[in-house]
Amino acid sequence: MHSHILELNGVYQKYPAKKKKMRTILSDINLQVSPGELVTVVGPTGCGKSTLLRLILGSERPYQGSVKVNGAEVKEPARNRGIVFQQYSLFSNLTVRKNVMFGLELEYFSLPGRFFGFNKSKLKEFKEKADEYLQRVGLLEHSEKYPHELSGGMRQRAAIAQAMVMKPEILLMDEPHGALDMGTREEMQIFVLEQWKQENLTVIFVTHDLEEAVFLGSRIVVLSQFYAGNTSSGGAKIVKDVPVGWELPRPTSIKHSKKFSEIMQSIRHEGLDPHFLQEIRDFDLRHNDSLSLNTTENWD
Amino acid sequence: MAKIVRNINGILMAVLFASVFLISAAQAKTQTFTVVWSIYAGWMPWDYAGHSKILDKWAQKYGIKIELKKMDYIPSVEAYVAKKADACVMTNMEALDMPAASGISTSAIIMGDFSNGNDALLTRNNIGIKDLKGKDISLVELSVSHYLLVRALEMNGLKENDVRIVNTSDADIAPAFIANKKQEAVVTWNPLVMEIMQQPGIKNVMNSSSIPGEILDVMAVRTEVLQKHPELGKALAGAWYEVMATMSKRGAEADKAMEIMAQAAGCSLTEYKAQLKTTAMYYKAKDAADFTGGSEIKEKMNYVRNFCFSHGLLGENARSVDEVGIQYPDGSVQGDKKNIQLIFDSRFMVMAAEGKLE
Amino acid sequence: MISVFKINARPGRFACFVLPWVLFVVCFLLYTRASFVRHQENPRDKLVPTVTQLIDGVKRSAFEEDRKGDLRLWVDSWASTKRFFIALIIISLGILIGLNMGAFPYLELFFYRFFLFFDKVPALALLPILFITFGLGEVSKVALIVIGVMPTIVLDTFLRAKEFPRELNIKAMTLGASHFEILYRVILPNIFPKVLDTLRLNLKAVVLFLIAGESLAATAGLGYRIFVVRRYLAMDIIIPYVIWISLLAFSADFLLRYWIRHKYQWLNK
Repeated sequence: MHSHILELNGVYQKYPAKKKKMRTILSDINLQVSPGELVTVVGPTGCGKSTLLRLILGSERPYQGSVKVNGAEVKEPARNRGIVFQQYSLFSNLTVRKNVMFGLELEYFSLPGRFFGFNKSKLKEFKEKADEYLQRVGLLEHSEKYPHELSGGMRQRAAIAQAMVMKPEILLMDEPHGALDMGTREEMQIFVLEQWKQENLTVIFVTHDLEEAVFLGSRIVVLSQFYAGNTSSGGAKIVKDVPVGWELPRPTSIKHSKKFSEIMQSIRHEGLDPHFLQEIRDFDLRHNDSLSLNTTENWD
Repeated sequence: MAKIVRNINGILMAVLFASVFLISAAQAKTQTFTVVWSIYAGWMPWDYAGHSKILDKWAQKYGIKIELKKMDYIPSVEAYVAKKADACVMTNMEALDMPAASGISTSAIIMGDFSNGNDALLTRNNIGIKDLKGKDISLVELSVSHYLLVRALEMNGLKENDVRIVNTSDADIAPAFIANKKQEAVVTWNPLVMEIMQQPGIKNVMNSSSIPGEILDVMAVRTEVLQKHPELGKALAGAWYEVMATMSKRGAEADKAMEIMAQAAGCSLTEYKAQLKTTAMYYKAKDAADFTGGSEIKEKMNYVRNFCFSHGLLGENARSVDEVGIQYPDGSVQGDKKNIQLIFDSRFMVMAAEGKLE
Repeated sequence: MISVFKINARPGRFACFVLPWVLFVVCFLLYTRASFVRHQENPRDKLVPTVTQLIDGVKRSAFEEDRKGDLRLWVDSWASTKRFFIALIIISLGILIGLNMGAFPYLELFFYRFFLFFDKVPALALLPILFITFGLGEVSKVALIVIGVMPTIVLDTFLRAKEFPRELNIKAMTLGASHFEILYRVILPNIFPKVLDTLRLNLKAVVLFLIAGESLAATAGLGYRIFVVRRYLAMDIIIPYVIWISLLAFSADFLLRYWIRHKYQWLNK
């Protein structure tokens, strides 16, 4: 019935600011995502990329507008949306394997069940399933370690396994590679692409790294507060929404191709340059799922 | 103007230096003694003696200085045992089991009073002494309250083991007993006894008036100090009997003195007088000297020292009740003659009685 | 010697073995010296008993029946230990209160200011009220400890639960955890070792309140005995008791520390 797995309609997000005023972060966000897309969200610092992600996650409610996953209003974080944060994605008191098993256990065992004994065979099944995912992310040999014993990249892979094992409808990633060094980051990018294809995931990937966004995305959404007519309090809009059709498998060498740098150039110009203010009607919203509601509004 | 100010400054400085010099010179010559005391009806006259400068007068007469310090009771005796004080007011029981048993030879030079109802065993629900069997009794363990209870039980054919003693601090014993109706018996002293008796349904089943002369309140001086400075004993006795004379006049002057004592004790004059009724004061030096020099006191002390011994108060490894010697004015000794640690010394009371301190 | 005041000094084996004991030995020597001097002056001195007298005091307390027929050191230790553990169990309920306060904003509003205020109330000053309300029995003594220490535990747990990364709570929700499961399967297991550590640091306060309560009204207990034998200056009993109490508290502290280190290895990041 719903061809779109995710729908944001007329979403505004405002926070209370000084002197009883509200500060607008997001302004009239309309976004529809089809299953199987890897949407990268990029934009200048303070544009509200993470806010957008939290709205989809449900840890924040919009000031106005609606966020729907599979047609159902998002109320709070739930089982159908997985999340990988930059930090704090793993439970430090559990081993890697227990971290991956955690969601499965929660689903099957109630709180009292924990005290009145486990179903051994069920537990074994969970362990096998967790190990299957750990194998896939290459962490099987580290399954007995605690998170603090892992490197940054390994921790993020474990977090991805932990989220994927639950088979979420949407996997949300909030700057997952922000704390990694360049080499590890590139490895992780390849890894994310592999998992995306293998599992046929729908991914929303927020990053401040433009190159990463262009390389990973099947669709790039540029969020920016720099557009014509915006005063200081207007909030960010989607200023660019374009498909990027790189082949898979995708060698990192494409990052040096001409087309790659052209896309980067145009996004940098239209989205990230505070001196280039595009008229709202000129926004490049070429993606098929984009709702081109480019009506000019009055900003006072 | 500035000149005058400078002059005044100079004069002030000169006076200051001179007085400091004089004071320190005077202090260097006169010996200072520390006397510690605690609040109790029979000891309040000491506060008055200090307050009215009577004590200073007598100290000056014998060329010494006496400093009075108020403390809580047990810490005051501890300070005395640790030789931080030269004299201290205490009961005959503590004199025996604290300093004397620790080898601090102690002379009881003034027989102030004996408890004549100040310590009492109180019950509720009309319980008699014989009904106490198996009951909890609140008291300050190993104090004169404990002694009184043991004597009360003995007189009624019970043993100490027949009851359960709950050690309770004197700070909490009265309010706790008043508030908890489940608690049926308590042994304590005045003014707490009076306070508890004001509650309905409380019975005074036994008090120290049934064992007169056993709980004595004395002025204790370290024998060592007294031997070197008998003038301390003279000054203390002189001051004490002057205050006693004032108190026993029973007129406005006596009331004025007792008003000051009552204030220091934190009660009204009427309350203080009520407490004095259950305190048998020896107002006359002769009475005090006679009692101290008599034979009755030996019999009373025998009860006390036996209690102390059986409760380990003479030291837990003391082999016999005779281990600590007690000497009386007639020269007789109770216990070990080679280890005399408590001396009832009536010399100063006799001097006061004979008017030799005037 | 030269390397003593170097922050990068590496003490040798000998130093590692000897240095921790030096002050103990110094204290012991000073004590025996003081005791020797006092006993020369007054052979019956009770205030600073000799080591032989102390050992004798221990023997009498631990292995000889007193006039009531008790081996009093053990009777007292048992009485105090019982109070200690009952108080500790009740104090542990504070962990649950703090956890709920930290997780549920409504409960925070309800409890926080109250406990913050209650924490500042000097519990010892409440003793008369406790004795009047609960009598002179066990309840008032346990209540004293609980009132004295529980607010600290509640507030500490509350702060730790509150500062627990929100991301992990959200993560747990995306894994299907209910709000209660987040409390008891995510937050509590994560902050528990740190809360235990706070409890460990507060053992001193527990002992302090225990001794204070026992000293004012009791029929047995370590604090009770110290204050009763004080009536006849039995320092040969008091000093071994003080050392014994310190040893018990030290052992409890040590065991808890050991338990935390071994049971929660993930804590040592």
